[in-house]
Amino acid sequence: MKQHYLTMTMVLSIALFFTSCDKDDPVIPNEEELITTLNLYLTPVDNGEMVTLSFQDLDGDGGNAPIVTSGTLIADVQYSGRMELLNESESPVEDITEEIEEEDDEHQFFFQSTISDLSFTYEDEDDNGNPVGLSTTLSTGMAGSGNITITLVHEPAKNAAGVSGGDITNAEGEIDIEVTFPIIIE
Amino acid sequence: MNKNLLFFIAFTFVIFNLGAQNCNLKIQGSVFDEAPNVPLAFVNIFIQELSKGTITDEDGNFELRDICPGHYHLTFSHIGCDGERMHLDIYSDTILNVLLSHTPTTFGTVLIKGKKEEFVTQPNVSVNRRAIEDNANQSLSGLLENEAGVHLLKNGSGISKPIVQGLYGNRLVILNNGIAQSGQQWGNDHSPEIDPFAADKITVLKGVSAIEYGAGNLGSVILVEPKRIENEPHLHGQVNYVFETNGRGHNLNTRLGKYTPTLAWKVSGTLKKYGDRETADYFLNNTGIEEGSLAMQLEKTVKDQLFLDFYASTFNTQLGILRGSHIGNITDLERALVSEVPFFTEPNFSYTIDAPRQKVSHHLVKTKAKYFLKNDQLIELVLAGQLNNRKEFDVRRSGRSDIPSLDIAQYTFNTELKYIHNLPANWKFKIGQQNITTDNTNNPETGILPLIPDYFSWKLGHFFTISKKLEKIDFNIGARYDYELQNVVTISRGVDVEIVRFKNKFHNYSGLLSAKFELTKTQSISWNTGYATRNPAINELYSNGLHQGVSGIEEGDENLRAETALKNTLEYQWIPNANFSFNSLIYHQKFNDYISLVPQSEIRETIRGFFPVFKYEQMDANIYGLDVSTQFTIGRSFFGTLKYSYLKGVNTVEDIPLIFMPPNSFFGSLVYRAENSLQIRKLKFEESEIEINNRYVFEQNNILAGQDFIAPPSAYNLIGLKLSANINSSRYKIRCFVKADNLLNVAYRDYLNRQRYFADDLGLSISIGLNYKF
Repeated sequence: MKQHYLTMTMVLSIALFFTSCDKDDPVIPNEEELITTLNLYLTPVDNGEMVTLSFQDLDGDGGNAPIVTSGTLIADVQYSGRMELLNESESPVEDITEEIEEEDDEHQFFFQSTISDLSFTYEDEDDNGNPVGLSTTLSTGMAGSGNITITLVHEPAKNAAGVSGGDITNAEGEIDIEVTFPIIIE
Repeated sequence: MNKNLLFFIAFTFVIFNLGAQNCNLKIQGSVFDEAPNVPLAFVNIFIQELSKGTITDEDGNFELRDICPGHYHLTFSHIGCDGERMHLDIYSDTILNVLLSHTPTTFGTVLIKGKKEEFVTQPNVSVNRRAIEDNANQSLSGLLENEAGVHLLKNGSGISKPIVQGLYGNRLVILNNGIAQSGQQWGNDHSPEIDPFAADKITVLKGVSAIEYGAGNLGSVILVEPKRIENEPHLHGQVNYVFETNGRGHNLNTRLGKYTPTLAWKVSGTLKKYGDRETADYFLNNTGIEEGSLAMQLEKTVKDQLFLDFYASTFNTQLGILRGSHIGNITDLERALVSEVPFFTEPNFSYTIDAPRQKVSHHLVKTKAKYFLKNDQLIELVLAGQLNNRKEFDVRRSGRSDIPSLDIAQYTFNTELKYIHNLPANWKFKIGQQNITTDNTNNPETGILPLIPDYFSWKLGHFFTISKKLEKIDFNIGARYDYELQNVVTISRGVDVEIVRFKNKFHNYSGLLSAKFELTKTQSISWNTGYATRNPAINELYSNGLHQGVSGIEEGDENLRAETALKNTLEYQWIPNANFSFNSLIYHQKFNDYISLVPQSEIRETIRGFFPVFKYEQMDANIYGLDVSTQFTIGRSFFGTLKYSYLKGVNTVEDIPLIFMPPNSFFGSLVYRAENSLQIRKLKFEESEIEINNRYVFEQNNILAGQDFIAPPSAYNLIGLKLSANINSSRYKIRCFVKADNLLNVAYRDYLNRQRYFADDLGLSISIGLNYKF
């Protein structure tokens, strides 16, 4: 009868009342895979001042705008470029460059520029003889200004037409990094 | 396929004792269509033990002679459908009155102690056991695809969830065995973790407010139900195997059951393995499936008063996701959109499943006690526990692809108590309460800040319904109140992450008013109106992170309010005779504070490039539409079905369309059943059928340029063909079929498939199936 129903309702409700309602503090995941910083160190092959292009985004996908540090390059100079990737949210800072070196056959940097006579050449290769882009040579031409976009593609089709020459068009894969620096050439 | 062909047998039989002599007994009787209650001609009646059968005449009468006393299994079947078996002990001449129903919509009739437990005035469609067996290669959602008013939200070929009259995910409740399916149902790329083969019937209630099925639903509910174990003293079982060419997939199902007075049991299991699926032109690499599930059902009746039911199931799956749909930032998306063939497409088939992939398991234990206090009163208690563990693996650097990017364990505990009282003069009163506690925990080993936070939630709901059946009118009123407590522990984003706690309390209300009028003997009208509120779900409030599938950053809004919906439906049914039925359903649902994921003008810059940002926002909206279906038989050999769905969703604040609303669609099928059995050598094929069907999906024109990354795909038309036949013998029954889906190998993309940005949908697929029953 209805008493049965009411008794059971009470029993069920009391049983649930005693179940814990609070969650424990979660363990905050260690975001070791995150890349927060890209530094491209450009050292003139002949003497001169080193220029560092730096893109730093410490909050990952969060809403804070990244800090972009660009630089001024000298016309008609060859720079030797060294790429560095860091996870600065970790302490100590983690060097992600090593991960790319270990998996260099699965990664490739692409360099695109809106400045007509500025060019990048790859100075490194993976075990299959294909370029990686951690080490490069940048040659400037005439004075001017524009943008350089650096893209890191994970699992690119390195053997597709033009890809080993630095053309991203047929590279497929998926983009891990894509950053743009405004550049002035004097 | 005739999925919504309900074949329900309600039978009464009277046994005459006319002095039994050996082997000259008679079984005679008549078969009627249930709804218009007219005689049904051309029904096949078959006694399995004797391999003998007959067909009803124009007046629905049949007679079988020269039968020895004994135990027999009789099957009843009509064109386009397969009747269920009934067990009879024949000691004397027997008269049977059989009631068959093959109308597209029927009252949910459950016979308990000879009384109809329910009379539902809500529009519904259902898929019967035979359709489940013939489509054993389909998922739960796939089985419902051709029903009027039901659409699928897909993520490639292996992942799909049902949409009913425009609602899905958090707004649609799926009840597996009476228990609300828990898990990460909010995800558009998360399939319901249910093996349909364990069920006997899948019903979609397209109503306004399914009061007794718990909070969260704004009208529609999908019920996945096994039947009560038949009162069958013999061991019965079946083995079902389907091979599908597209994906080179193997599906194996078995079922075994027996009724004994001490305990009735049934066990059902499924194994599935698929490799890469293919479109008309190329392979969809990494789209394989591996699935294994097992379900057990136990029933016991104590002194005709207490009915105990225990159900346990485990469902485990691993799904590959098209490699080319896993992309980085918005530049990647743009590159992928212009590519004709998805990235990473390879010329070779493979069964291998690599990242990106999902590995999901779902376990359910349920026990139900039904106690008849008196003949007209019963009390029902249900206790259930669920564990859902979802792991999603992305393509990651340095061997991390084997570490899940998302790993959530969710425990759910349900209790339900109902009291049902059948009062005189066809009044019926039902009161009940439901508790659902949920404990959701992320595994921190992912190395990624979780998209959905850890939380604990407690829902407590109370409801009542009152129904009354009059001569020409049935009506139903009901109301429900739900309290929900959410204890949420989020991790903030930013340079210094910290733990932020939220404690939310919500009150939800819903109400229902419905009536069904019998206009004439053959026509009826049902009108439903329902109001419901739904509080924002955890993902709508707190989701935060990158959703790989569409390369967008999704952000919840902790200030969302509950949304409210007012839905009205009007259904007209015309069943002039057993050979024709027509059903049309108009619905309109008005939402206030409709919660929707809206693309923002902000394009976020990160080191990985630029990402579109989506935020949960609230708006007022209307969703309305029309579902029409008709079924007809021509003579004794042809059976046809036509279905059409129209739907429109509008954001009424800005007067713009709602995105991801189902396009209009049309489905038609025609079945030819051979009158005579076919003799091929020693094999005798009965009930041979040829079916041709056609599915046309219109282009979704109700969308503005700029509301989506690309324009909606064009309309498409798919043709299917199926040949089937049965071999009946005294000891077993074999059913075999060959069917072709997308017969013309059309290359097409579907608006509701989230992989349409990257790849075509499935090309031609041929399935061969064999079902052995004993």
